[in-house]
Amino acid sequence: MPEKILMKGNEVIAEAAIQAGCRFYAGYPITPQNEIPEYMSRRMEEVGGVFIQAESELAAINMVFGASAAGARAMTSSSSPGISLKQEGISYLAGAELPAVIVNMQRGGPGLGNISGSQQDYFQAVKGGGHGDYRLLVYAPNCHQELWDLTMRAFDKADEYRNPVMILGDGILGQMMEPFEPVPYSPPNLPPKDWVLDGCRGREPRVVKSLYLGEGELERHNLKLFQKYSRMKEQEVLYEAINVEDAELVIVAFGIASRVCYTAMELLREHGIKVGLFRPVTLFPFPEKEIKGLSLQGKDFLVVELNMGQMVEDVRLAVEGRTSVEFYGRAGGSMVTPEEVMEKVLSLQRPTSTRLSL
Amino acid sequence: MSTTPLRLKELSKKEDLLTGGHRMCAGCGAPIAIRQVLLAAEMPVVVANATGCLEVSTTIYPYSAWKVPWIHTAFENAAATLSGVEAMYRALKKKGKIKERIKFIAFGGDGGTYDIGFQSLSGAMERGHDIVYICYDNGAYMNTGIQRSSATPLGANTTTSPAGKVIPGKLQPRKNLTKIMAAHGIPYVAQTTPAHWRDLMTKVRKALEVDGPAFINVLSSCNRGWRTPTDRAIEDCKLAVETCFWPLYEYENGKLTINQKPKEKKPVVEFLKTQGRFKHLFSPENEHLLKKAQELVDKEWEDLLREERMWKAEEGE
Repeated sequence: MPEKILMKGNEVIAEAAIQAGCRFYAGYPITPQNEIPEYMSRRMEEVGGVFIQAESELAAINMVFGASAAGARAMTSSSSPGISLKQEGISYLAGAELPAVIVNMQRGGPGLGNISGSQQDYFQAVKGGGHGDYRLLVYAPNCHQELWDLTMRAFDKADEYRNPVMILGDGILGQMMEPFEPVPYSPPNLPPKDWVLDGCRGREPRVVKSLYLGEGELERHNLKLFQKYSRMKEQEVLYEAINVEDAELVIVAFGIASRVCYTAMELLREHGIKVGLFRPVTLFPFPEKEIKGLSLQGKDFLVVELNMGQMVEDVRLAVEGRTSVEFYGRAGGSMVTPEEVMEKVLSLQRPTSTRLSL
Repeated sequence: MSTTPLRLKELSKKEDLLTGGHRMCAGCGAPIAIRQVLLAAEMPVVVANATGCLEVSTTIYPYSAWKVPWIHTAFENAAATLSGVEAMYRALKKKGKIKERIKFIAFGGDGGTYDIGFQSLSGAMERGHDIVYICYDNGAYMNTGIQRSSATPLGANTTTSPAGKVIPGKLQPRKNLTKIMAAHGIPYVAQTTPAHWRDLMTKVRKALEVDGPAFINVLSSCNRGWRTPTDRAIEDCKLAVETCFWPLYEYENGKLTINQKPKEKKPVVEFLKTQGRFKHLFSPENEHLLKKAQELVDKEWEDLLREERMWKAEEGE
C-alpha cells in the first residue's frame, strides 16, 4: 500500500483524474473549486494533456462534449451556479451518450447564495438537472480517500456506460485537507470506444448525436437510455451501512453530512441508544432496495442533509410508508452539528410498544 | 440644473455615492474609479453590477456601500439585466409615469465583461439600450483567486496561467475589447484609468450625455493580482498610459480622438517591471517575450495614430 499523503480535497480530485487517464480538462473560475482548474493548469502540461480555461461554463462543458466525442477522457468542474449553466451541455452529453466526468463542489443556494459547502443540488444531480429525460451516475464521496477512489471510478463508469458521471462533493470537502492513500489506478477491462469520431478514412463514418426526428426514433432512443439506467440500478449501487443490525433508528446521510452523523451515532451509542448510519455512496442509482430492506425490519429513519429535504424524498419512496421517515436539515451553507443530530434523535425516541411493525 | 465643474474644489462638495466602509482591498483601483464615475453623474443613476470583487465587497448583506439604486443577478448578465431595467424605464416614461431623466450604468470586471458577459454586453449595445457599460479591467479573475481572463496581458503569471520552466505565464495577448466595442458602431466608446480623473470624468459625462449605448473601459490595478505594493494603484495606471500600454482615447460617433500623447513614450518594461506578475519575464530566457510585449504596444499605438491621422486628414479636406 502506498503511504498516506496530505492534500486539499479539490487537488485530490484533480490528481486522481490525471492518474485515471484524464487528458482533457476545461473549466471556468468559481469558488469554492478553483483549486481544480489551478492544479490542472500546472499538471496537464506535465502529462501532455490539455487544460483550457474557457470563457464561460457553457463553453467549458461544450469543450468537454467535443473532446469526449474525439475519444478523450474529459472532465470539467464547477460549483453550484456554474453547474446550473452547464446543464444544457450535460443534457446533450447524456443524449449523445458521451462519457464525461463533471465535478460539482456544491455551495449554498439558490441564486448567488454563498460560498459555503452545501448539499442543495441533490435534485439537480440525481433527477436529471437539464432538459429531457436522463440520469447521471452520481457519486457522493465523504472523505479524501473516496474523492480519490471515486474520481477514478467515475472515468471508468463513464466509459463503460457511455454516460456522463457526476462527482457531487461540496465546498468543505474541496477546501479541507486530510490524509489518504493514493492507490495507483488500475484500468479495468472496458469495451473498445468503437464510436469515437477520430477520422473515418478506411472505415464507415460514425455519428454521435442527440437529435432524433424520425417517427418513434427518439422514444426508442429514450428506451435504450433507460435500459442503461436500469443496468446501473442493478450493478452500480454503492453504500455504507454502519451499526444498522441492532439499530432501531437509522440515520441516512450522504457526503460531508454523513461524517457529522457518524459522530452523533457514536455519541448516542455511548448513551445506549441504538442508532445506525446508512450512507448512500451512489445517489443515482439510489440504494433503494437496501433502505426498503431496513424498513421491512421495522427500522425508523432520520434523514440528515445540508438542504431543506431532498434525498429524504427518495428514502420515503423506498420505505413506502412502512416506518417513519423524519428529516433534519441545515440549508444555505450552514453546517449541521453532532449535537443537533443527537437532539433530533432524542426527540424522536418513543416507547418500543408504540413502534410501527409489520 | 448647472453642471458641477470638473474641479476638485467643487467635486469635493458632492456626495460620494459609493460610501467608505466597503470591503474592497486597500490599494484597489476599482472603488476609486467607481467613485469618480458616480461623482461625474449629474442626474439620477441606476447601477447594475456583474458578479466580481466590486459586487461582493460592496454589498455584504445587510450592508451596502451604494447610495444609488443597485441591481445584481449573476456573472454573465449585467448588461442583460440592465437592458430589462432600462427598457421598463422607457416604457413607463412613454406612458408618462416617469418624468425624470434617469441614466443606467453597468459595472463589470474584465471576467464579467470580456469573457462570460461578452454576449449580453454585445446584445445590449446592438439593441441600442440607453446604457453606459463601464468595465473595470484589472486583467484577471481577482475575485476567485487570480485566474487568467482574456484581458490578461501576454506573459502574466496567474493561477491558471502559471509561469514555470516550460511555459512563461499567459501565452496569448489580451483581447482588445475597446476596439471591439467601437466596432459595434455605438455613439460613444472610450478607455481611461482612475489615475486620470479628469479624463475619466469627462468621458463618463460624454457617455451619459449620448442617447444610446456607451462603453468605457477603465484600466484598474489590483495589488493582489498584479503583485504590487498597495500604494502603487495610481502610479501603475499612469505608467500604463505613459508607456502606451493603455492609451487614453475615445470614439465619438465612430470618430477617434487620442486624448493624451506621451511626450516621450516610455518602454513597456517600465510598466511591467513594477509588477510581480511579470517578474519572470525579466529572466534572460524570456527576453523574447519582453520584445513581443513591446511590439504589441507599438502596433496598437501606431494603429491608433494612423487612424487618428486619417480622421484629421478627412476633416482637413
